[in-house]
Amino acid sequence: MNQELLLKLSECVEFGKINLASPYPPNMKGQPGADEYTKEALEAGAQPSEILDELVAAMGKVGQKFTENKIFVPQMLLSAKAMSAAMAHLKPFFASGAVQRKGTFIIGTVFGDLHDIGKNLVAMMVEGAGWEVIDLGIDVKIEKFVEAVQQHPGAALGISALLTTTMVNIQPVIEAVKAASPDTKIIVGGAPLSAEFAASIGADAYGKTPQDDIVWLDTLIA
Amino acid sequence: MKSWIDSILTSKQRIALPIMTHPGIEAIGKTVKEAVSDGQVHYEAIQSVAEQFAMPACTSIMDLTVEAEAFGATINLPDNEVPTVTGRLVSDAASIAALEVPSLDKGRVSAYLLANKLAAENITGKPVFSGCIGPFSLAGRLYDMSEIMVGIYIEPDAINELLSKCTQFLIDYCRALKASGTQGVVMAEPAAGLLSNEDCQMYSSEYVKQIVEAVQDDNFTVILHNCGNTGHCTEAMLATGARALHFGNKIDMVQALNDCPSDVIVMGNLDPVGVFKMGTPDEVYVQTKALLEKTANYANFVISSGCDIPPHASNANIEAFFSAVKDYNNNM
Repeated sequence: MNQELLLKLSECVEFGKINLASPYPPNMKGQPGADEYTKEALEAGAQPSEILDELVAAMGKVGQKFTENKIFVPQMLLSAKAMSAAMAHLKPFFASGAVQRKGTFIIGTVFGDLHDIGKNLVAMMVEGAGWEVIDLGIDVKIEKFVEAVQQHPGAALGISALLTTTMVNIQPVIEAVKAASPDTKIIVGGAPLSAEFAASIGADAYGKTPQDDIVWLDTLIA
Repeated sequence: MKSWIDSILTSKQRIALPIMTHPGIEAIGKTVKEAVSDGQVHYEAIQSVAEQFAMPACTSIMDLTVEAEAFGATINLPDNEVPTVTGRLVSDAASIAALEVPSLDKGRVSAYLLANKLAAENITGKPVFSGCIGPFSLAGRLYDMSEIMVGIYIEPDAINELLSKCTQFLIDYCRALKASGTQGVVMAEPAAGLLSNEDCQMYSSEYVKQIVEAVQDDNFTVILHNCGNTGHCTEAMLATGARALHFGNKIDMVQALNDCPSDVIVMGNLDPVGVFKMGTPDEVYVQTKALLEKTANYANFVISSGCDIPPHASNANIEAFFSAVKDYNNNM
């Protein structure tokens, strides 16, 4: 029974079925979604850690499909929203310590940049990969990045920039964060960025896709 | 502008048209904020670029917020960066239904019309291309870009209604830009590049097509810009009927040329940041030459930046770009 529920949950996340009300995907219309199946699985006695494992595996498939250009941003966001609906039911177990997450990832869009789509995707995907995500939002000033890193020692940091005009604001953030917390690992991403640019401004990594962030984060705890 | 297109297709010289206004803003000593708010300043920036670099055509500022502001969206206007939209203007079917299509006297629209009018009146001997946002990218700025990506699947009827309203405004706006005397419009539709080809067709191209049909003719060209296209949605871009397509640096330029018929102008795609801003003049020169050589067999190719060249790209780099084109042409 639990296995059947977990399989259905996994499929809902992989294909972006958020809840009963959602008409997407068409072949799942009128059926329960990730929201309902997670609740049902918990009530049926499934372990929260089992559920989390299913979510992580499902989102791994989604990330892989995106990397292979088999799905696009809308499909990935729908899966991320389905995953978030499921995760909402697990939050009490994270808070109590019954389920352990891999670590903490702080993310924000750099000062001057109010775009959030890339940051949101990364945040949702990384959370779906088993990390606690602290989303600082958009237009984040240097001091806020530094403060967040100091409040969460050991956290990794992600900095996003979606504008050619604001990507130059990343380097001062990196310099300030590294000065305050030399051991903090930083990954940068965003449409105008590249691996070469990331290296030139002192970032530890560059994430072209959200999956790149996940793979890199997992290397930090390997 | 059919005559300009014909001149490109028949010319033995390679044509270059990077998308840029910031070098003009900087040269006349104004801020970005002043340029995007004051039509006279905007025009002077356009003219300055035209004169500094002997441009074969002019483009206006790629400001992707003026249209959203006209609808009532809140705009963040920093002094020396391009403006951005904040918050959500509409969030559900009810607010979309209540949304009014704004008239052209809202926000900074009149400043943009003035800039284009002044440019068309005073810059002679070359086409002047105005600019506007595409319908899907505009709708995304009103509804939140992340949310609209989900909305096209969860609330398609509401999103289509929003797109229709955006399209109606853009038709009105493009007609006014045309009436201002410009020879075309660069329509920036970057958000569509994040969609599959099928979704791009449904939620962008079908609406762009309405705008193209309303304004494009032998004297006015729609140049459709999609810098998110990696090669996956070129077919959808072509379906709009725009006579010119402009590509970002995510796509292989030769692939784009191979995917397009030879009577459609294909423009692109040197990295505006990695090459124009971060590169050295020598690197810009080499990259420009390399792209020209790669595309030598395509008469419909116009070499350009992949997107708007950002503020404070050095004049030496831009001059290196034009030098490379000039040297290439002299050696043909």
